[in-house]
Amino acid sequence: MSHALARTPRRAPASPREMSVTDRSSRRIGATPPCLSLIFLLFVTGCFRGLGGPGTGVWVESDDEGGSMTIGSPRTSAPPDRSRAPETGPVPSVRLPARTDFELDNGLRVILVRRARLPIVDIRIQLEGGATLQGPDRPGLAAYAADMLDEGTASRSALELADEVDRLGAILSTTASHDASTVRLTVLRPRLEPALELMADVVLNPAFAEADLERVRSERRTRVLQQLDQPGVQAGNALDAVLFGTAHPYGQPLLGTLESLEALRREDVLSLYAAQYRPSRATVIAVGDVTEEDLRPMLEARFGHWREGPLDDAPQPRPGPVEPGRAASTARAAAPALATAAVRGRTLYIVDRPGAAQSEIRVGRVAVDRRTDHYFALTVLNTVLGGSFTSRLNLVLREEKGYTYGAGSRFAMRKLPGPFVASSAVHTPVTDSAVVEFVREIERLADEPVPAEELERAKNYVALRLAEQFETTSDVADRMAEVVLHDLPDDFFNGYTAAVLAVTASDVQQAARAHLDAREMAIVIVGDRAAIEEPLRRLELGDVFVLESPSTTPER
Amino acid sequence: MQPFHTTPFLLAPLLPFVAGAVVTAATPAGAAAQEPERGLDVHIPYTHFTLENGLNVLVHEDRSLPVVSVNLWYHVGSANERPGRTGFAHLFEHVMFEGSANVPRGDFDSRLEAAGGYSNGSTTPDRTNYWENVPSNALELALWLEADRMGWLLETMDQRKLDIQREVVKNERRQRYENAPYGLASEAILAGLFPPEHPYHWPVIGSMDDLAAADLDDVMAFFRTWYAPNNATLSIAGAVSSGQVRRLVERWFGEIPAGPPVPPVGAPDPELAFTPRLVLEDDVRLPRLYLTWHSPPAYGQEDAVMDIVASVLAGGKSSRLHRRLVHEEEIAQDVTAWQQGQKLGGSFRIVATARPGVGLATLEAAIREEIDTLVRDGIRREEMERAVHDFETRLVRALESVGGFGGKADRLNEYHFFTGNPGFVRNDLARYHRADAAGVADLAGRLLQERHSVVLSVVPRGGAELAAAAGDR
Repeated sequence: MSHALARTPRRAPASPREMSVTDRSSRRIGATPPCLSLIFLLFVTGCFRGLGGPGTGVWVESDDEGGSMTIGSPRTSAPPDRSRAPETGPVPSVRLPARTDFELDNGLRVILVRRARLPIVDIRIQLEGGATLQGPDRPGLAAYAADMLDEGTASRSALELADEVDRLGAILSTTASHDASTVRLTVLRPRLEPALELMADVVLNPAFAEADLERVRSERRTRVLQQLDQPGVQAGNALDAVLFGTAHPYGQPLLGTLESLEALRREDVLSLYAAQYRPSRATVIAVGDVTEEDLRPMLEARFGHWREGPLDDAPQPRPGPVEPGRAASTARAAAPALATAAVRGRTLYIVDRPGAAQSEIRVGRVAVDRRTDHYFALTVLNTVLGGSFTSRLNLVLREEKGYTYGAGSRFAMRKLPGPFVASSAVHTPVTDSAVVEFVREIERLADEPVPAEELERAKNYVALRLAEQFETTSDVADRMAEVVLHDLPDDFFNGYTAAVLAVTASDVQQAARAHLDAREMAIVIVGDRAAIEEPLRRLELGDVFVLESPSTTPER
Repeated sequence: MQPFHTTPFLLAPLLPFVAGAVVTAATPAGAAAQEPERGLDVHIPYTHFTLENGLNVLVHEDRSLPVVSVNLWYHVGSANERPGRTGFAHLFEHVMFEGSANVPRGDFDSRLEAAGGYSNGSTTPDRTNYWENVPSNALELALWLEADRMGWLLETMDQRKLDIQREVVKNERRQRYENAPYGLASEAILAGLFPPEHPYHWPVIGSMDDLAAADLDDVMAFFRTWYAPNNATLSIAGAVSSGQVRRLVERWFGEIPAGPPVPPVGAPDPELAFTPRLVLEDDVRLPRLYLTWHSPPAYGQEDAVMDIVASVLAGGKSSRLHRRLVHEEEIAQDVTAWQQGQKLGGSFRIVATARPGVGLATLEAAIREEIDTLVRDGIRREEMERAVHDFETRLVRALESVGGFGGKADRLNEYHFFTGNPGFVRNDLARYHRADAAGVADLAGRLLQERHSVVLSVVPRGGAELAAAAGDR
């Protein structure tokens, strides 16, 4: 809980859709240095004088600690001309890290990106599947199973595991998302091997003991209760539900619901584990200060015997259908009109939070999967709309109107088409005005081409920040995980800059027309119903329904 | 709220290592590291020079990526505010992005983004920082932007700039405090922990009334008092050479005149004379208990020791409080503890959320009991080892980033501001290696057992019976 207040909301770790690399004038962009096109798999040394190859220790320092202190400096020439911004020189080339792929004897896939500048290693095991494997009637199962991995193994109790992990100063986490589950380990190099031992134990030998299942179930159900206090989380969950319906894994909260968590049995967990945690679904991604020579035997010793189990009664991915509005129908008691409501078109949903100082607004629709042909156009589009500080939503809602602390948007590009979501938290009295601005800005993308200067800025913002997307070991592992999960070309990031810079205003406009029809939007508002409902109805933007909040009473 | 405090308290300048870190999370700094038997060693090589106008400049070269971060600290925060204008340092930070003599409103961000860069700023009780992360070719652009607002902010200042950011900040307050569960807890704790005349008594965000009252005269006066090169330190890290940086900094910042010496900050003794018990009703489903004590300022040895106490009590699942409250007895949903050192003093906080049906008195009793046990029986060697290893991992992770909040540029500035030594990272780590188990138990006893704490219960509306009532301390 920092006392520091940031000027802008700190965004979640930059999503892969917000990456970037190079220069301020798009004219110069054609002159991308040849090094940018190097093949991802190879390390081309000549391009980067002074940086050295893998293993040469890139930590170049010119000075020892506590360099010299000089008071005063020679005033050189006349004062500079401040009326114009200084020219930026040529855009620097970006060195993408070298990657090595290999397989263990049992076929387990390993991707290694070596980085020796700090003695740290990030290893993650990504298991394809996630919530899409759990089946429509078991919300929360994948995340529950992942959570249970480090809650006891065949040879270690939950507390023994935690104790050993902590003593190594290691960070071990087990999580599930919609499309994959991931076990992550971060540890300093000297303590890698014992930490890897614990990681393997967690992945291969989880006990799923009844007592631990009950303990964790209770903890997770309490977490569901806590989410009900958070208007932003409530808004996100409600939007997912109205967009996808509650039978689709993207329409269900990853955490599950009070009811679904209560209903999950040990057999469900075992069955999901059997289906998902198998070498054929797994990829090991290692980034940091370790060589293939050292890593391979460490992995071979711990994962080499991992075999495919039988799959007879294991579930296969079976996402339910996308059924927009299905969640709304469950709120029938609260909103009788819903029984006949069409969920196509533009619809507003209010979740009442009496007395709320702000309204949490989410405007969304089902958009695209990660492999969409419009990936780059949509990435640029989103930057224009809501992906950076100067994006339209933030400029209008924050910098022009002062309605909010921040506004933005994103495309959650997943294995299956995921949601587009534009969001903000605004002062209650301006809720209706803010909704109008959201709709206007989304419409404008389809109606008019983005002006040249604005387009150029957005493209540069995305393209030129690519280097930073590879800054930390965790950043690099995130990029690798994305490539693996979505089966992107190995050289995806080599072509990244050029592809972003090639996007035209027409590409953006076409992508907007294809994926962001403002007449087909769900608008969820979590706020003070008494204050906002009538103004919202008067806008006549679409039908307005009131969603009932999920159960609200804590139970023991 | 109530009266507390009594004795005068050591002012920061008397302590060699006074410093106030910004909390947990990423901290970062430096560079090369190896791990000999005794533990990790790290450092951030840098050069340091000072312009004639008093601007301190720190440069760290790291060419791993073709990026550079420009990081500027002004040595002013909410502790320098005057009564009736709480929240002003932070509001002013927002206004700093509204353009200056040669940078029209909106251009600050659009020019950076067009160059592939971005920026942010933040305010704490002690200081205000700003940074720009840019590709290395845009270093001069970032310096031009920072210099223009350091030297020529007021030329184009107007009411609209202030009014818009006032609304933004009010919405920040609504979003992060009023409309967030438990959002008003920190404000209540500060008010209970520090006397009204102490500069840490009010929160950085300020009150709605004070935000509404701020006017253009305040903007002018604040800028002239605090925003001068002699009250700032510029830190630059990334793919640069110190010679190049020196030439450019001299070019853009050299002609900005020094300001008058800044007024000192006084801090009366904040010691509590009794244990204030506060209750706050909120839109929450689970009650949460906050215990807060006064503790040492940042970056001294005792600050590290209290960090270790926090780790032993609640750092990770195997910590004492987590094990007992969350895992074994299942009376808490979560429990955390941390030491937060600041310039004029620190605070040590333990926070636990009750499970449904559990009252906060139960949590408080269990927590106090664990503190007693720790003080009486001491801590085990493994617990010390765990705390030190945890700190090492966090530090090295932090060193991975050049810019942003907590990146190496920010860290050099932090060490410089709080300790006077930008290269403090090595000493920072050594503090943990130096700590011994007996000292940890001893300090925990002196600070957590023998001194009063502020006990805040945040309970669901109408749930006052769940609060931690007055006990024996």
